[in-house]
Amino acid sequence: MTQYIVRRLLLMPLTLIGVTLLIFGMLSFLSPAERVSLYVRDIPKNDIVMNSLIERYGLNDPFLVQYYHWLVGQKDASTGEWAGGILRGNFGYSRSANQNIVDLIKRRFPATVELALYSIVPLIGVGTWLGIVAAKNHNNIIDQIARIFGILGYSFPSFVFGLLMLMFFYAKYQIFPPDRLSNWANLVVTGEGFTSYTSLVTIDALLNGRFDIFLDALRHLVLPILTLSYINWALYLRIMRSSMLESMNQDYVVTARAKGVKEKDVVNKHARPNAMIPIVTMSGMTIAGLLSGVTITETIFIYPGIGSAAAAASTQLDVVTILSLVLLTGFILLVANLIVDITYAFLDPRVRLS
Amino acid sequence: MAELYSVKDLETQFHTREGTVHAVNGVSFSLQEGETLGIVGESGCGKSVSMLSTLRLIPQPPGEIVSGEAIFQGRDLLKLSAEELRHVRGGQIGFVFQDPMTSFNPVQTIGKQLMEPLEIHLGMNKKQAWDRAIEMLRMVRIPNPEDRLKDYPHQFSGGMRQRAMIAMALACSPQVLIADEPTTSLDVTIQAQIMDLVTSLRKELGMAIIWITHDLGVVAGLAERVIVMYAGYIVEEARVKDLYAKPEHPYTLGLLRSLPRLDMDEKKRLASIEGVPPVLFKKPKFCPFASRCPYRIEKCLEENPSLMLVGENHKAACWVDTYTGKER
Repeated sequence: MTQYIVRRLLLMPLTLIGVTLLIFGMLSFLSPAERVSLYVRDIPKNDIVMNSLIERYGLNDPFLVQYYHWLVGQKDASTGEWAGGILRGNFGYSRSANQNIVDLIKRRFPATVELALYSIVPLIGVGTWLGIVAAKNHNNIIDQIARIFGILGYSFPSFVFGLLMLMFFYAKYQIFPPDRLSNWANLVVTGEGFTSYTSLVTIDALLNGRFDIFLDALRHLVLPILTLSYINWALYLRIMRSSMLESMNQDYVVTARAKGVKEKDVVNKHARPNAMIPIVTMSGMTIAGLLSGVTITETIFIYPGIGSAAAAASTQLDVVTILSLVLLTGFILLVANLIVDITYAFLDPRVRLS
Repeated sequence: MAELYSVKDLETQFHTREGTVHAVNGVSFSLQEGETLGIVGESGCGKSVSMLSTLRLIPQPPGEIVSGEAIFQGRDLLKLSAEELRHVRGGQIGFVFQDPMTSFNPVQTIGKQLMEPLEIHLGMNKKQAWDRAIEMLRMVRIPNPEDRLKDYPHQFSGGMRQRAMIAMALACSPQVLIADEPTTSLDVTIQAQIMDLVTSLRKELGMAIIWITHDLGVVAGLAERVIVMYAGYIVEEARVKDLYAKPEHPYTLGLLRSLPRLDMDEKKRLASIEGVPPVLFKKPKFCPFASRCPYRIEKCLEENPSLMLVGENHKAACWVDTYTGKER
């Protein structure tokens, strides 16, 4: 088991190098002059300045040299200082957000993490539970209702469902507003006397003893969570339902019944653990998806996560920001995959012991 | 010997999209204490379904046990509450299934699965159940039982899994062991080992055995009495000796002729029974074997014969005396 995890961990840097090569490779499709204009705020009008900038940043160097500089940075011959290099945390400047990309991620990512954390249980948990309920009531009315309910959500584009929710719960009743915090709460959070321990507003609020801010943050989270959950439930419902029905038909379920196992335990101890395996695969993808920013949902609810940052960067052709966010997403996917593989091993001895 | 288990007029149907399939059509038999009963027939003849039905282990729906009774220790298993029946299953009647590869839960250790019936039926705690499980594995001759209990099913070979399955079925010392083609998916040497094992366990523990198989050779080596099934009906019932010495039903005759023999002319082709068994969407008004039967007479197409006594402890469901070719 330990060996298995260590092997996976050792593979990770290799995959990461692959990801960075791919991303940097995409960047090198642009001509040196185009890339200068990506990194420089005042785009030079004459060729001499342009060429000196290209020369200075080594944009005409061979691909691997440029890649090395992009990764590790470049030593300035006169001052001896290192500049750039994503390994030094220098991702460049985001034009669309008017700040360093590192600062942008630091500010936006916690919001996305917070939304993801609160969405996981309702999205995966309820979806899976619906699947189990549907399977247990195979082909009767409860099964049908659950499936229709799921399919309805699946058929909604998230922006339509999100707007409907906003129309009803915000425009009409004003219970669940968009954005991350109300204005008054935002002032408290950014003001003095409020310590940011984790950058997750709900948790910080509790740590600061501000229950009112905690509730305000939750109120803002409800609609995005509901939207994300509802449009994904059908997926989990269908996979869990069919997986559950399949394992209920397996020979070992008959064996369990023939042993005199209670019907409840036949489902919970024998059928369900086997049926959960595809759900783990799906969960890894879903969680990685949530953490990489849910662009449409964040945009509709003006939620300041990296999804909406990516949307803003895309509309302004801010390539540097987009590539940095892609890199972040790639990293998240890798970690999520690792976690899925480890969970597999826990669930299925055939993986663990082979 | 006292009667331990008796099944009367069992009828099971499956309601499918294509129509209702009559899988078991009025099966009756009884089992004496310590007796080994073989049930023979080709695939789809209803032998497994009838045994699963008596413990209500068929999926319902689509299956339905239409009528009949299964009396075990004075109680009708078909009328027991789910809770009462649960304690009979695995506790007093043990079940061994055909495919040891798929009959164990792949994500639980063998030990955990072996301990389960002990905890359920005998109220043992983990420690007692563990010790008993070790004892059971030793009884079915699996070496290093202490270590093997911690293994998962995929770490066992097919033969070992079937031994473990037998250990699991016998864990609570049941009075009856129902073995549903337990050697079919194993190769021949392992098959022989499993049969030896069951024979010696029967001597040791004295339980009655119902052995379902399509292999007449297995039955000859193991059982005292045989039931031959065809299309959901019992067509012949006899002591093993009598069945092999003087088979009465044309179907049994066909089955025995299709067996290869060591003393047979090598150039001769094995005899086979022409045609395929029917899928019964309706209860037949005539003999279900009639269309494949070389002894068919007019009456066979008019009336379905019921089991009739044709010799001492020997019953067959046929209008024709196959030795004279005349109507009985």
